[in-house]
Amino acid sequence: MENNKHEHITSYKEHFSTWLALILLTFMTVFVSVFGADLRTLSVATAMLIATIKATAVAYYFMHLKYEPKIYKAMMAVVLALFAFFMIMITIDYLTR
Amino acid sequence: MTSETLPYTSYLKEKTGIMSWLFTLDHKRIGLMYLYGIVAFFLVGATLGLLMRFELLNPGKDLVDPHTYNQIFTLHGVIMIFLFIIPSIPAVFGNFFLPLLLGTDDVAFPKLNLLSFWLYVLGAFFALATLIFGDGPADTGWTFYAPYSVKTGTNVTMSVLAAFILGFSSILTGLNFIVTIHRLRTPKMGFNQMPLFAWSLYATSWIQLLATPVIGITLLMIVAERMFGIGLFDPSIGGDPILYQHMFWIYSHPAVYIMALPAMGIVSEILPTFSQRTIFGYKAIAYSSMAIAFIGYFVWGHHMFTSGMSGPAAYIFSILTFLVAIPTSIKVFNWVSTLYKGSIVIEVPLLFMLAFIFNFLIGGLTGLALGALAADVHLHDTYFVVGHFHYVMFGGTGFAFFGALHYWFPKMWGKMYNKTRAYIGFAILFVGFNILYFPMLILGIQGMPRRYYDYLPEFTFLNQVSTVGSWITVTGLIIIIVNLIVSGRNGKKATDNPWNGITLEWQTKSPPPLHNFDKMPTIPERGPYDYPNAKRG
Amino acid sequence: MNHTFVLPNSGHNFDAKASKMGMWLFLYTELLLFGGLFLVYMVYRSMYPDEFLLASFNLNVWMGTFNTVILLTSSMTIAMSITALQKGNKKLSINLMWITIAAAIGFLVIKYFEWGAKFDHGLFPGMDHFNALPTGERLYFYLYFFMTGLHGLHVIIGGIFILFVISGVKKGTVTPERYSLSENAGLYWHLVDLIWIYLFPLFYLIH
Repeated sequence: MENNKHEHITSYKEHFSTWLALILLTFMTVFVSVFGADLRTLSVATAMLIATIKATAVAYYFMHLKYEPKIYKAMMAVVLALFAFFMIMITIDYLTR
Repeated sequence: MTSETLPYTSYLKEKTGIMSWLFTLDHKRIGLMYLYGIVAFFLVGATLGLLMRFELLNPGKDLVDPHTYNQIFTLHGVIMIFLFIIPSIPAVFGNFFLPLLLGTDDVAFPKLNLLSFWLYVLGAFFALATLIFGDGPADTGWTFYAPYSVKTGTNVTMSVLAAFILGFSSILTGLNFIVTIHRLRTPKMGFNQMPLFAWSLYATSWIQLLATPVIGITLLMIVAERMFGIGLFDPSIGGDPILYQHMFWIYSHPAVYIMALPAMGIVSEILPTFSQRTIFGYKAIAYSSMAIAFIGYFVWGHHMFTSGMSGPAAYIFSILTFLVAIPTSIKVFNWVSTLYKGSIVIEVPLLFMLAFIFNFLIGGLTGLALGALAADVHLHDTYFVVGHFHYVMFGGTGFAFFGALHYWFPKMWGKMYNKTRAYIGFAILFVGFNILYFPMLILGIQGMPRRYYDYLPEFTFLNQVSTVGSWITVTGLIIIIVNLIVSGRNGKKATDNPWNGITLEWQTKSPPPLHNFDKMPTIPERGPYDYPNAKRG
Repeated sequence: MNHTFVLPNSGHNFDAKASKMGMWLFLYTELLLFGGLFLVYMVYRSMYPDEFLLASFNLNVWMGTFNTVILLTSSMTIAMSITALQKGNKKLSINLMWITIAAAIGFLVIKYFEWGAKFDHGLFPGMDHFNALPTGERLYFYLYFFMTGLHGLHVIIGGIFILFVISGVKKGTVTPERYSLSENAGLYWHLVDLIWIYLFPLFYLIH
């Protein structure tokens, strides 16, 4: 149908910067976990937060989500919202039992 | 008719030989192969159901022992759910008619479509292989509840793998349809000019895509538990069986809408055609499909009110359950309004649709009784539940399936069926169906539990009524199926547009050529159901 | 054949956007497939936080970190191989894909040693030492083996997928103009990476 020549081509430099950021975040999360042992629940939260930042970076830059039409982001949002709802309802069940 | 003047080759005759069917990429042939498989399994499932009703003719043992009875109702459930009703309308009529309704010549990924069909065959093989391999078919019920499914000696592993493979087939079909709808609509057909069957398939496909993986992984966990002792659900080695129920119903409740939504789409196609009038509330019906698909994800807990789930969670699930009634009733009101002031032509497909609305109303309202927390404590796991879901599944989706078969029969085979026999078959089926299942609702309220091969003597009369109903139902089914087979062979030639329909599939020949359209189909200007002779206002 | 007429919106046309959309939809199902496991993990970890902590000491943080770095790097190389292909540099693209496959094998080898160490310590379901563990620790290991095992399976599938793309580029079916297959293999590989990004802190970094 439509031609595909207008697709965005991500530069090597952008991929490399993404990679660098991901590696830094990885060492940060290991550092927090190994040396920040007293944080307890807070350390779970930081670990999940860093993982989410990393996942977003992978999706956004490596997987081109940044350059895709809005529909892809909307679909992704629906998927994540559903999953969040599953987590919330199961948590409610287990917390109030 | 004018169509006879031009020579053409229909998709049925374009290529010949068994290989041209088994490895076809044509969506119409794949749809037909699904149809033959699905109807065959429906008959197997119906036979098993008939056996159960025989056993329940009198209290005590009539025919089979308790263990065999457990295996029969499990196999009945697995076959009817995974091999008949989930693939029924999407895989048969979705495959055959979605591209026609959208004005294209195939689905977006024809090879993937063939793969889903073969996965269906493989899954069916696994489901039936339990009859031969291992210690017989599973006796857990189609829900495979842990921990029993982990401990029983019967061949749960293969049944569960069958469900997993069939789920994969279902995911790929859904994926294919979503991309088809996004990418292959005929030029100028926006989402809001799509026929409503396409809308309902779109909503269904999203459920197939996003709910099925959850049960896939849950079933794999059961397999891992049985094979490697990965005890995630068996409390004796660690896990929590209620978590299994959560995981199971996260899929299996939305799956109810995989079964119901396409049926609702069929109703929305057939009613305007036989009222010769535009559908009432196009957007309301289209968007309520999406709403049902969406809300369907939030209500799984209503299957677990008596399982030991917490009170607050149960309240929330109960309230959310009632929300599903809103888009569903929006549809029913719109259908009834479509008939109002229409130029109604009574034909067999329309009768099936009216029966659908009647049955679905009973099924839906009994569903509300079950969704109410207090009532469910009494009704849970009684015959009321069995009656309820058969009214929705068989009375709803099953009737829509046969209605669609009669509606599109002339398009699929280019022959017209014998209408008198079709009327008789329909009438017997409808009467038999209600005699079969209505007593179950009463039995349930009186307290007869489901899934036992025996019952107390005071339930005898209603059980016998129900068993007699099963015989009438089967008679009706046989008449319908035999009539269609005979007509498919020797029926009168059908015209291209016997019902005076207006959606795109009626613009091509009956049966359609391999590439569906020999000229560009034209879409009605004022929406897909703009009947030229309809009274406006 | 008497129909020369072909619809413009034919399902048999090559449509790069459709194939990309199909791949994304498939990734959503993959996300929810693992999502189900994460739900189970969430419940059991909140039930047995201390046992999960104790059990996690059996894992080697540095091996996990090293594997994370390997996967992230391979994610970059596969992304770059698509850029190379789009720019017309087939040779570079193929080499970058080979590096990705090498990384996948490296990842699996390290995983093999990690699993092997668990076997040697009797930490596998069914073994005596394992059966003596408290419930929470056993649940940790059930999940560990199931989730990393399933992830490992995805690494293998992803690697095979990339092999197909390499042969496609060599045969000329995947070209700078028609690179959908390479893009889809990349998307799949990133998903494998994405899952690992969560598995790593959830199993190795409990403190």
